[in-house]
Amino acid sequence: MELIRLDNVSLLRRTQEEFSYDLKRTFFSMLEGNYRKPVRRLVLDSINLTVNAHEKVGIVGANGSGKSTLLKLMCGILEPTKGKVRVQGSIAPLLELEAGFDKDISVYDNIILYGVLLGFSRAEMKQRAREILEFAEIEEFKLLPVKGLSSGMKARLGFAIATDVQPDILILDEVLSVGDEHFKMKCKKRIDSFWQGNATILVVSHDLDFIRQYCERVIWLDRGKLMFAGEPQETVSKYLKYST
Amino acid sequence: MALSLPGNATWEDFRRYWDLVYVLSARHLKVRYRGSFLGIYWSVLNPLVMTGLYAAIFGNIFATYYDNSLLNYMLAAFTGLTVINLYSTATIQSVNIVVWGSPLLNKIRLPVSVFPVSMVMANMFQFIAGVVPVLAIVTLFTSKNPLNVLLLVFPILSMFLLCVGVAFLVSALYVFFRDLPNFYEVIVFVLGLSTPIFYPPTIVPPNLRQFLVFNPLYPILESLRDIAISGTLPAPYPIVHSLLNGVLVLSVGWLCFQRWRSQFMDLL
Ligand SMILES: Nc1ncnc2c1ncn2[C@@H]1O[C@H](COP(=O)(O)OP(=O)(O)O)[C@@H](O)[C@H]1O
Ligand SMILES: [Mg+2]
Repeated sequence: MELIRLDNVSLLRRTQEEFSYDLKRTFFSMLEGNYRKPVRRLVLDSINLTVNAHEKVGIVGANGSGKSTLLKLMCGILEPTKGKVRVQGSIAPLLELEAGFDKDISVYDNIILYGVLLGFSRAEMKQRAREILEFAEIEEFKLLPVKGLSSGMKARLGFAIATDVQPDILILDEVLSVGDEHFKMKCKKRIDSFWQGNATILVVSHDLDFIRQYCERVIWLDRGKLMFAGEPQETVSKYLKYST
Repeated sequence: MALSLPGNATWEDFRRYWDLVYVLSARHLKVRYRGSFLGIYWSVLNPLVMTGLYAAIFGNIFATYYDNSLLNYMLAAFTGLTVINLYSTATIQSVNIVVWGSPLLNKIRLPVSVFPVSMVMANMFQFIAGVVPVLAIVTLFTSKNPLNVLLLVFPILSMFLLCVGVAFLVSALYVFFRDLPNFYEVIVFVLGLSTPIFYPPTIVPPNLRQFLVFNPLYPILESLRDIAISGTLPAPYPIVHSLLNGVLVLSVGWLCFQRWRSQFMDLL
């Protein structure tokens, strides 16, 4: 069964340095008649892609090639400029783990807040808060503001919240490299259980050995283009050959 | 999870929207008060102190317009201050709220409008917990009619609609124009000055007074004073006028917000 389908998807994004975030300047440049429409760059170029249920897909490519952007399109965070994105089932996005927390409120409040943002109900989150604290091994910080946590702890917390309930589709954007060795093992274990289970997984990683070992199919992106998609060994070696 | 919901799951959508507004509003209030419950009462202390100041400075001059009663002048000033305070804090705090949410919006699929709505809700909660009980007591004393207390719902609802509409507008504009606060604070200042808060509306020259109709706070204030301090049942006209104003501003704000939303993500 097909869970994710991208048909001829292109995305244009405004280059940020181009834009003046300034009412006064925009107003005057309009008066003087030299207002320019902001320039947009092609970040993803006509991507065609399908992901089937239970598939474990790796995504490789240089920095800035559009891997995170592709995942954001699948999560519905970004909308394509052209083409169509279709997704069936629940997605757990694990992008930039520690970014979503509010550093001024307590760890417990953050669990509720973050869980609701991810789509769980408040009642559900209250029940699950203890398990999450346990998994992240930060029970003793429950009532402290999040700014007191180290970035490793925050990453652990983010991982624990987003993976506490088994989603249909799990998206891992370079999250396997966070935390200390002990927690990495623990994450691996949880991800392994997803791996063995029914979940569909999309994983971005620069750890090519990991990709070769665990993924069933690998997608290689370069400068917004889909260069190759196929069997892991073949794709990774093509990617390596191209990079050197 | 960020569900891609089927089209008919409207109740589920609604619950999710409400949960989002709830947790975000709770977050705003928690950050503001850092666990101190008394913080809520700041919102009532501030207009009380200001009322005292206005009474000390203008009380003698303006009491003649209020049946020579200093108390009536103070009640009028107090109601005016509560309205302008709610409006200015709710909308000024909403200006940067979408930009504040950008780390979340870049990570999780969310209905963007929950951010301005949550900020207005946090302020409404504070208003209802702090100021409204005082207004209710005043109303009960002056009118001796519980019905008037119930009617307070209408100016409060109008305020809510107006504030949400304006919050949509300013929070969306701020995504594009980060120098907006400078201008918006001037607008709020002018709006506050052109609202008869501490002066009687009758001293405004007649050729200027006709423009008061365009001040959306004016009919709200009029209906609030009518309900809370006139001592009689209120005239229906200001209530209907302010509700319609609220619906109009909310619709305009919502339409602009939805129209500009597709461009937000590139700038956040
Ligand atoms: N918010 C943004 N606005 C405009 N362009 C962006 C934004 N974020 C990333 N980009 C551009 O999109 C391209 C792809 O970025 P990204 O998907 O983060 O790459 P990767 O995850 O593969 O390292 C980059 O060239 C980057 O400059
Ligand atoms: Mg990336």
